[in-house]
Amino acid sequence: MGFSVRWFGVSVIAAACLLAAATGSAAAPSSAGATAAGQTFVYDSYTQVMINWDPATAYDQEQVALENMYETLTSFNTKTQTIEPLLATSWKKSQGGKLWTFTLRRGVRFHTGRPFNAQAAKAAILRMKKLNQAAAYAWAAVKSITTPTPYTLALHLAYPQPMDLISSAQYSAYMYDVKASGTEDLAKWFGAGHDAGTGPYEVKTAAPGQEVELTLKQFPGYWGGWHGKHYTNIVYRIVRQDSTAVQLVRSGQVSFVQQMSPQLWATVKGSPGLRTPTSSSFENLLLYLNTASGPLQSKAVRQAISDAIDYNGIVTALKGAAIRQPGIIPTGLFGHSPTVPLHSYDVARATQLLASAGFGPGKNKITLSMTYTQGDSNEQLISTLIKSNLAPLNIDLNVQALTTSTKYAKARSTNPADRQDMTFIYWYPDYPDPATWFISLLHTQSPPSFNFAYYSNTTLDKQIDSIERITASNPAQAKTIYRQMEMTVFNDVPIISLYTVEKQRIVLDSVQGYQDNPAYVDVVFVYKIHPKA
Amino acid sequence: MTRYLVRRVGLSALVVAGVVLLTFLIARVVPGDPATSWAGPHATPAEIAQARHHLGLDRPFVDQIATYFRGIFVGDWGTSIHTHRPVLSDLASAVPTSLELVIAALLIALAVGVPLGLAAARHRGRPADHAIRGFAVVGVSMPIFWLALILQLVFFNYLHLLPVAGEYGLRFQENPVHAYTHAAVLDAILNGNWAMLWSALTHLVLPACAIAAYPAGVIARMVRASVLDVSGETHIQMLRAFGFGERTIFNRFAMRLAWNPVAQVVALVFAYSLVNTFLVESIFDWSGLGSYASDSIISLDTPAIVGITLFVAIVYVFANLAVDLVQAALDPRIRLR
Repeated sequence: MGFSVRWFGVSVIAAACLLAAATGSAAAPSSAGATAAGQTFVYDSYTQVMINWDPATAYDQEQVALENMYETLTSFNTKTQTIEPLLATSWKKSQGGKLWTFTLRRGVRFHTGRPFNAQAAKAAILRMKKLNQAAAYAWAAVKSITTPTPYTLALHLAYPQPMDLISSAQYSAYMYDVKASGTEDLAKWFGAGHDAGTGPYEVKTAAPGQEVELTLKQFPGYWGGWHGKHYTNIVYRIVRQDSTAVQLVRSGQVSFVQQMSPQLWATVKGSPGLRTPTSSSFENLLLYLNTASGPLQSKAVRQAISDAIDYNGIVTALKGAAIRQPGIIPTGLFGHSPTVPLHSYDVARATQLLASAGFGPGKNKITLSMTYTQGDSNEQLISTLIKSNLAPLNIDLNVQALTTSTKYAKARSTNPADRQDMTFIYWYPDYPDPATWFISLLHTQSPPSFNFAYYSNTTLDKQIDSIERITASNPAQAKTIYRQMEMTVFNDVPIISLYTVEKQRIVLDSVQGYQDNPAYVDVVFVYKIHPKA
Repeated sequence: MTRYLVRRVGLSALVVAGVVLLTFLIARVVPGDPATSWAGPHATPAEIAQARHHLGLDRPFVDQIATYFRGIFVGDWGTSIHTHRPVLSDLASAVPTSLELVIAALLIALAVGVPLGLAAARHRGRPADHAIRGFAVVGVSMPIFWLALILQLVFFNYLHLLPVAGEYGLRFQENPVHAYTHAAVLDAILNGNWAMLWSALTHLVLPACAIAAYPAGVIARMVRASVLDVSGETHIQMLRAFGFGERTIFNRFAMRLAWNPVAQVVALVFAYSLVNTFLVESIFDWSGLGSYASDSIISLDTPAIVGITLFVAIVYVFANLAVDLVQAALDPRIRLR
């Protein structure tokens, strides 16, 4: 063990040389940035993208990548509010909306090399129905499927459903090759990082849990062709820290930042070489009020709570990441009614309502419990604001941060005494249809699945049960019923829509043609955009 | 020696078993339902019940813990609720990444801390000593996340000298080489990809420096204290009386005896640094144990949390064992019994 000062002197010099050499010509941002600015589109996600690789059961944030690998029969154009052809070139309904016939696109191949046709589409839909996970409930009305010709797909329904809309869903509507795995189990084959879609891009590399989680490359046999300018590769990169994401996009090492804190996003606005577009979404933050137990059983108390919240204060605090809209159906979706009143901040009326129920300042004190998702800074902020709004009204709000699963477990507790009085949920539709808000959040449920207001209203239940059939057969009547349902929710206050999420993106200037489509949450359709020449 | 080793390994195994048992117990009593996490946010009660059965959560606790302990020995550390992959294979790809980072950090810490400690001891009471002690205090007390952000800001944002995030450049990630070890530097060498090696080394500098700050400070203080302690002992005074020069006494005698406590500190800060990667990996986007742990904790991924705890506990107890063995090898006065 002949350690000496000289030995350490040498080691220090060596370490210094290594550092100096490394810093001398390291991957400077300008050179590294060339990658993202070139033919590779780099998508920055704050969390893991590929939780589930199976297109039939994926139900998380995988759609941001799956939408570039897989295609659906139709797609929804939010801007024009129309359903557009994709793998189906045309479609028609008959028998009062109980038979839907899709004519399929010819010359389409899966990434596996096999042709896409009516038999393949039928097999994909049947597998989704059989697995019955994710948004497969949307296919529940399908009684049988026939294939009159190799490129004609006929869906026979038990009751009328808007199958053209359902076919455009961002979950459980992808067309995939069910024979892709051969004799191997298909779910396991997908899970190993394979894809079997018809989309413009296919899997190049998959590294679950790694920083660069997924790389896609152009599928040479894509039916749309590769004429004109297109990105050759897509990289899905996980950047957990907002501050790191800002530095990466400023240096051009990522092309698109999915989301970050509104405060940090605001600091990026006006930066050279970057665009900071915002777009409305179909996602809103809802506040449940427990209608089944505790002080909120009283309709007057619930109405008082709705009057006591400073909604504009919440929107201001979120610095452009939120906008107020009337009702629980977001603007741009079928059924949205601008004439539904907005809940307003009216402390005098709240005091009056509370007094009528024997509560409020100088009267009996109300103690309520509220849960929010741990780590969600927006929910944390809003909880604090609501707590301070309610305090002057002699309402003590106990706020508790819980993980998502714990929050749900508490809300689903079989003992009503263990449930919370108030909690939050972000909600967006699986396909561009408003029924999901009512079916999932407001229809009577025992045990509760997502109706954490524990609300039960037989009139509303009847309307919910029939609304999709009416939508498929008589859209005008459906709109009227949706407004009635919205008014019921406004008056009974089982749920309050606090705001609709406004997406704040950061996009490199070199990315041309980017547009958000709220029907496909956080998806960048990379085939439709291109790098600047 | 053999008896000592057998006894220590046995005791270490007991400690690890205790830690696992405790973690398993805590994971079961904290509010939350792993089955709900497994089934996903939109799962129906029936799907959650199915997930509970699949994960074995509907079995008695004793049965669950016995199954887990059996699994440890046959390489089945459970399945991650978050990634849906075996925990051991998740760890196999995450641990080498973190080890590479921690080893690089410790090398930097040794290269900086030891000479500084020695210099402080040589110049005791002088301005150099005060400056080094001040540096050591700053290194030990500076919040690691803050240092990491400052390093990013200075070396990436302002000076454009070093990359801000990742284990190596994007072009190597788009066209990955064969991952023999999941440690970027080693994999680059094993694949003979020198461009990637360069990229991996440059990406290593900032996170390794951030992690190195604490151990460098601790090592500098420990080296200084040990050398000064040894310098005052009677045998060193005797050497002075024999007419040995200060430099010779310092280099040939005092320093050798000062290594024992330093070795002990190095082993302890190694395990500590492994935990410190949690924040640094998140800031620098390294897909190592730290990122895996933070994802697991956020998603209440019980099998992954227990797996990580098991691994860190093993590292801690065996690092301590290694210290004892190294001390015995360095200092002939120590006998292992």
